[in-house]
Amino acid sequence: MTPPRAEAHDIAVELRGITKRFPGTLANDCVDLTVRRGEIHALMGENGAGKSTLMSVLYGMERADAGTVRIDGRDVGFSSPSDAMAAGLGMVHQSFKLFDSLTVAENVVYAAEPRRFGLVDRAAARRRVRELAEEHGLAVDPDARVGDLPVGLRQRVEILKLLHRGARTLVLDEPTAVLTPSEADALFAVLKSLAAEGRTVILVTHKLREVLEGSDRVTVLRDGRVVARLVTAETSADEIAAAMTGRAVELDRIHAAGTPGDVVLDVSGLGTSAVHDVGLTVHAGEIVGIAGVAGNGQSELIEALAGLRPVTAGHVTLQGHDITHASATERRLKGLAYVPEDRHAVGTAPAASVADNLAMGHHRTSLSHRGLLPPTAVRAHARRLVERFGIKVSTPEVPASALSGGNLQKLLIGRELAHDAPLLLVEQPTRGVDIGAIQNIHDQLLAYRDAGHAVLLVSAELSEIRGLADRVLVMYEGRITATYGKDEADERTLGLAMAGGDTGARAKAADRHDS
Amino acid sequence: MTPDLRNRTAGALRSPVTFSVLAGVLIGALFLVGTGADPITAYQAVLTGSLGADGIGSTLSTGTSVLGMALALAIPLRAGLINLGGDGQMVLGGITAAVTGLYSPLPAPLTVVLALLAGMAAGALYAALAALCENHLGVPLLVSSLLLSYPAVSLASYLARYPLKEPGSSLPQTRAMPEGVALPAFGDSTVTVGLLLVVLAAAAYWFTDRRTAFGYEIRMTGLNGRFAAYAGVERRGLTLKLMSISGALAGLVGAIGVLSFPYRFVDGSLTAPGYTWTGLTAALLAMAAPFGTVVSSFFFAVLQVGGLAMERTTEVPRELTQVLQAIVIVFLAARLRFPSRWFSRRKTEEAV
Repeated sequence: MTPPRAEAHDIAVELRGITKRFPGTLANDCVDLTVRRGEIHALMGENGAGKSTLMSVLYGMERADAGTVRIDGRDVGFSSPSDAMAAGLGMVHQSFKLFDSLTVAENVVYAAEPRRFGLVDRAAARRRVRELAEEHGLAVDPDARVGDLPVGLRQRVEILKLLHRGARTLVLDEPTAVLTPSEADALFAVLKSLAAEGRTVILVTHKLREVLEGSDRVTVLRDGRVVARLVTAETSADEIAAAMTGRAVELDRIHAAGTPGDVVLDVSGLGTSAVHDVGLTVHAGEIVGIAGVAGNGQSELIEALAGLRPVTAGHVTLQGHDITHASATERRLKGLAYVPEDRHAVGTAPAASVADNLAMGHHRTSLSHRGLLPPTAVRAHARRLVERFGIKVSTPEVPASALSGGNLQKLLIGRELAHDAPLLLVEQPTRGVDIGAIQNIHDQLLAYRDAGHAVLLVSAELSEIRGLADRVLVMYEGRITATYGKDEADERTLGLAMAGGDTGARAKAADRHDS
Repeated sequence: MTPDLRNRTAGALRSPVTFSVLAGVLIGALFLVGTGADPITAYQAVLTGSLGADGIGSTLSTGTSVLGMALALAIPLRAGLINLGGDGQMVLGGITAAVTGLYSPLPAPLTVVLALLAGMAAGALYAALAALCENHLGVPLLVSSLLLSYPAVSLASYLARYPLKEPGSSLPQTRAMPEGVALPAFGDSTVTVGLLLVVLAAAAYWFTDRRTAFGYEIRMTGLNGRFAAYAGVERRGLTLKLMSISGALAGLVGAIGVLSFPYRFVDGSLTAPGYTWTGLTAALLAMAAPFGTVVSSFFFAVLQVGGLAMERTTEVPRELTQVLQAIVIVFLAARLRFPSRWFSRRKTEEAV
């Protein structure tokens, strides 16, 4: 496949024949990427497809084994991000690199401060931020402390930082992962205006919808190679998804509803830090979804239910047992399993073997006898789960850190499903997981529900909530602000409720479903 | 060699442990050359002095204390907890054993057992106090264990110098244990049954680590505390248990010290050789793995005893071996390792 031709002076970024090998993997195999000036170019691919490696090479964080990098027609080979910055290339990382305790203005001018008599000129810094903000429609208060800002605004600060340093090309890594739908819309409006004034935007993402709505052209990577170069206006979500996975996939399927039985989890008036007066029930054979923008108390709610955070008010009963103040272990014994949001920091010990990771929680019950935990039992258990859940791993002895995101998530979900607990708490089951693995995980959760278990699902992905949940609750600022049945939960309604709007419908819906 | 064994050997060779030890030895040699000594003679003196017929007994009795303290520090370290109060717990164990030995009305053999148990109990309780400080008062274990160590050492010192002091002696030491209140020694060496006790403790640690649910919880807590807590491992309870075990072992080392030659509590004799710090070094070097802790403890016992021999036979001061220890720790802290390239290249050459 040859890259499309363009006039040399039109090309902002040109990567040719980039090859990067890591021990055991070929992360980039002769990758060509051509980005024209003034366009929004989406770089897509599943995890491990080589997107991050390619951007690291472009940004000077990794050195390619072969290939050339040209910016604005000049050959460059950055050896550090500051080189890249000096050549007019800036990057907004997925996790923001900001100082929370400093103001917006201080963050924006950091490392390129306006000076006066050798000192930082704060007035000039504030002025500069105001100018930039006005010029690009990125309204934000220069004197606000970054730590106090919502995520959407912090992202603006990151973009302002790049603009202040004169970036002509902006690379954004998964920029909408933490945004509400309306914040994402606002971001794309800004990106479009930046493109219109001749700047170039490279968008690294796996979200099909925003690529279709917000980009001009798409390059798709799979297994380290470019598998498709598409013009957005002429392609479709199905075509991109097929290119990413190498097969046809069914997107955004709404699965059939379950048949709810008895109440398994009953929560009333629950309060803990950042959660107020939450009441909900989950029945056997039912998936209840909690939608909400990250940081609205969902994590705290689930942690309180799992016994990792003290409950300050209200009651929690699990199958008739009061577990309001029970320890995590007692809860598990009474029938609770939990797939936490953070796979690496909470859900696994990455340095431990796959077998050891799979044993957690089973090590005091099915696997041990009088306190003994025979290594053979641990290995056999690991082999069973690896096979049953299709975890791709050469042997269970390798450390869990060697697994890809999707595989690690299969490990975690497999381990928790294997408890056969009446109640499963699941947070962000498919965040950062490949499209292929997403289907597998969704199927597992549905099968678990259909086997008569109760599932409480927290997800920031609306399509996931809509596809799986039999009822949808929306959390906003620590409260459950709306409840919808499966058929009522369309994207627009949920999006509005997640942003805290639309109170009338909320009350009505809540009345209908909680009575 | 089978490919698997070869991989494991290459892995062991590449590990930061090998690197640190080799770097320590090499930089130590530079020091020796710098001071005008012959490194080969000096290192030879270390080896013959510690492993030769004259030195092996001394190495094993030093090794008893080093291994005991290394285990005491390795066990909490396995869960990511650092007990810096080894000195206090050991000394408290020693003085408790001395008091028991001096005043127990039981027959001598039973008194020995009682003294060992009393020493362990004293160390365990004192270490548990440090754990309680962390669990309930929020004082970090690192701080609580270290600070509690000083009053314990001072208390034992006071007891040895005043109430329990041997009348007529100019040394700060207690009266000698009554006849028969001593750990049986092997032949006429200074190596006692204490070595067996410590090796048994190491074996028990290995078994717990590899084959019990409790050991599994300890390992997982060390690898990722939040992961263990998520699955229901109760951190406070675990801290209390591990610190008690740790303190009991330190107390055991103190009791063994009192029940071996010179069969009394001598103020400073337990802390002066720095068993606690050597033990901590050994535990860190082995990353608290049971078998590795045994091996590294022996390595440091060799250095300590061999250093003395080197001082006797060459002009090199024994502090050199402490320099060596320090270098090993610095490199280990930096977690340096040989680049994998060195080994893969050699492997491909072998294959050709």
